[in-house]
Amino acid sequence: MKASRNNYTRYLLPDKMTKKHFMDTLQKCFTINMFETTSETFSILDSFECGLYNQRMMAVRHENNNISLWNEDDLLDPELSLDIENTTVHSRFWWDFPDSSAKEILKDILDLRALSPIYKGLLKTEQFNFQNEEGKILVFCQLISISEPATPRTPVMRQAKLIPVTGYMKEYRQAEELLKELGGFEATLPPLDSLLGAIGVLPQPYTVKPKLNLSASMTARAAANSIILTMMEKQRLTEDGIIDDIDTEFLHHYRVAIRMTRAAIAQLKDVFPEQDVEMLKNRFGALARKTNLLRDLDVFILDKKRYMNLLPESLRSGLSPMFDDFEKSRTSEVKKIARWLSGKTYKNEMTELEALFEHGYSALETEWSEKPTIDLAVNKIQKRYRKIQKAAAKITSDTPDEAIHDIRINCKKLRYLLYFFGSMFKKKQVKVVINHLKSLQDTLGVFNDLTVQGEFLGNYLYELEHKPKKDIMLIASLGGLISSLYSMQRLERDNCIVELAIFSNAENRQLFKETFIQPKEKNMESEK
Amino acid sequence: MKIVASYSIKGGVGKTAASVNLAYAAAKAGNETLLVDLDPQGASSFYFRIGARKKENTGNFFSKKHRLLKHIKGSNYKQLDILPANLSFRNFDIMLNNMSKSKKRLKEMLSSLKNEYDLIILDCPPNLNLLSENVFNAADLVLVPVIPTTLSERTFEQLLTFFDRNDYKKKKIRPFFSMAQGKNKLHHQTIKDMEKKYPVFLKSVIAFSADIERMGIHREPVLAYASQKNHVQSYRTLFNEIVNIL
Repeated sequence: MKASRNNYTRYLLPDKMTKKHFMDTLQKCFTINMFETTSETFSILDSFECGLYNQRMMAVRHENNNISLWNEDDLLDPELSLDIENTTVHSRFWWDFPDSSAKEILKDILDLRALSPIYKGLLKTEQFNFQNEEGKILVFCQLISISEPATPRTPVMRQAKLIPVTGYMKEYRQAEELLKELGGFEATLPPLDSLLGAIGVLPQPYTVKPKLNLSASMTARAAANSIILTMMEKQRLTEDGIIDDIDTEFLHHYRVAIRMTRAAIAQLKDVFPEQDVEMLKNRFGALARKTNLLRDLDVFILDKKRYMNLLPESLRSGLSPMFDDFEKSRTSEVKKIARWLSGKTYKNEMTELEALFEHGYSALETEWSEKPTIDLAVNKIQKRYRKIQKAAAKITSDTPDEAIHDIRINCKKLRYLLYFFGSMFKKKQVKVVINHLKSLQDTLGVFNDLTVQGEFLGNYLYELEHKPKKDIMLIASLGGLISSLYSMQRLERDNCIVELAIFSNAENRQLFKETFIQPKEKNMESEK
Repeated sequence: MKIVASYSIKGGVGKTAASVNLAYAAAKAGNETLLVDLDPQGASSFYFRIGARKKENTGNFFSKKHRLLKHIKGSNYKQLDILPANLSFRNFDIMLNNMSKSKKRLKEMLSSLKNEYDLIILDCPPNLNLLSENVFNAADLVLVPVIPTTLSERTFEQLLTFFDRNDYKKKKIRPFFSMAQGKNKLHHQTIKDMEKKYPVFLKSVIAFSADIERMGIHREPVLAYASQKNHVQSYRTLFNEIVNIL
């Protein structure tokens, strides 16, 4: 019966329970038929962002390297998994997997992220039928045990899932009672959490976007310190992933975190002693610059397919030597960055920087340092928006590209201000503003990427000129690619102008005026 | 939801064997399936190791959905449920007689299950009475096992005549040969003649086999314990033929 699906209860059983005890107890009422049992080493996989956990799914890599994917309700049920076969231990990205429905799901969830093990252990699943003397199945039971490889005999988790058979509710209750008699208790947490909790895995989803709940009345200096420390922590969390070269998102987020720290320093400069602002910006800037080349290479390599598709078939293979070059440079660059990140110099620098902000930065007061944060927030957000709006008003088809890039940078600064201070204003309106801004930034971002990529390839071409051996096909392909990127960039520029006009129209001006204001105390509270 | 009846006026022609194995094949193919054992002897319930229900007031059987749901039992196979036989089914006729719309009661009752099942298979008792008429109204397809003998041919003709006289849709009737013996010349000839005369015969022929006979010992559909054998496979091809018709 369709309605009977997913009716089941889970019981956590005591670790010390023996199989004999289990069988003896259940045999009081049932004939037990064990029809399947598997035992293997396995690992639970997820991305650094806990993408699967967030989607209430679980992935497991089996001993034979195949991967199984489950929805929360079907966890570890061998009959209900979506499987990916023919994989190796090196298959970590969705694009590494052969076509399957599981691959499609992973594609949406993982995007550029790699799957990594978050737990390794031994998994044993046993399936039982509880029957009557006539061999009629009355209750299905799945026993799942997970143990540490070092102590295979004492599981860290043992869970029985009882699945009812339509029309045999009385027997089902009987089985439940017997499990309780064994010392089992019903798992009340959602299946995924109770399983992960029992084996001591606590997923901590990572996102580079800060969740800051700064209070409007705290001092501006304290707010700035808190923002910077939060971003530095996010930066540090990505280091291991970069060193182990898990996926390219670690470096990307490393850089975003630094960018936000620098934005906080630059935009909130009035809270710091004047002579320190440049110094701080430079120190963080130096960290980011170290990784510029690796990031550029990552972006190109990730986009390889797209570049190939921009060219006619005959020119595609011409690009291969360039990508081979990129791969080679990337390999050495990853090593270089990993050495640097694990090195003393870097670690000392980070410790020093962290210490600066942990202790309230400086005793030296500035004009803004002791004012309430809300004053600083309103002032900075309004100023930044006016700046964008004024610049946008001047844009025509003749405006040089640089002016558009400047606006893009200003939009980014505004976006960061909203990340930092957004929680102090009315939630709904801030969301509208962010959506508008996001759409504008997306367009500006595409325009910028096309420009940067065109320049990067232009430089690569220029360097080829000085090499003794020239590969004509590569040069032709590069030419094709650069001109293709250029015409796309021109088209995108027009889109930018349209989006900018929308963002600075009367309606949006009004929205900013109304949203980012000093709230009256009472209103503030009720809105929250 | 589709309803298929396994029906014949004559007894011992392989109705229950067909019901049980078609239900099994349907569930295996991913259909949420209910086998309704309308035969008070409860043979199909027995094959699924389910005892007959205690005698009770059958009046509820035709009137209340929740009463009906309470009697459904899961089988040993996924997606396959059984509504077991009830000894009081013997009195269906008398009971139906006393009800309004007495020929459409079964149809109404089963349609209340349309969200629960993709396919309902009715294993019918060998009669031609008010319950049978309920079956003819309810079923999208009336599957008739015919042993290739003269006597069976006669009962099949009786059924056609009954449909004609009572304005039932004859298109619903799809016979197939059952318990056919490969070495029996008379069987061969009858199959040839009848197929010519009645093009509605399904192509699948279920042969007489000891494996099928042994269902009573195994208490399982023959497809579950001897699925590799050719004469057993024909239940699966029969199911595929039915799917194409539905």
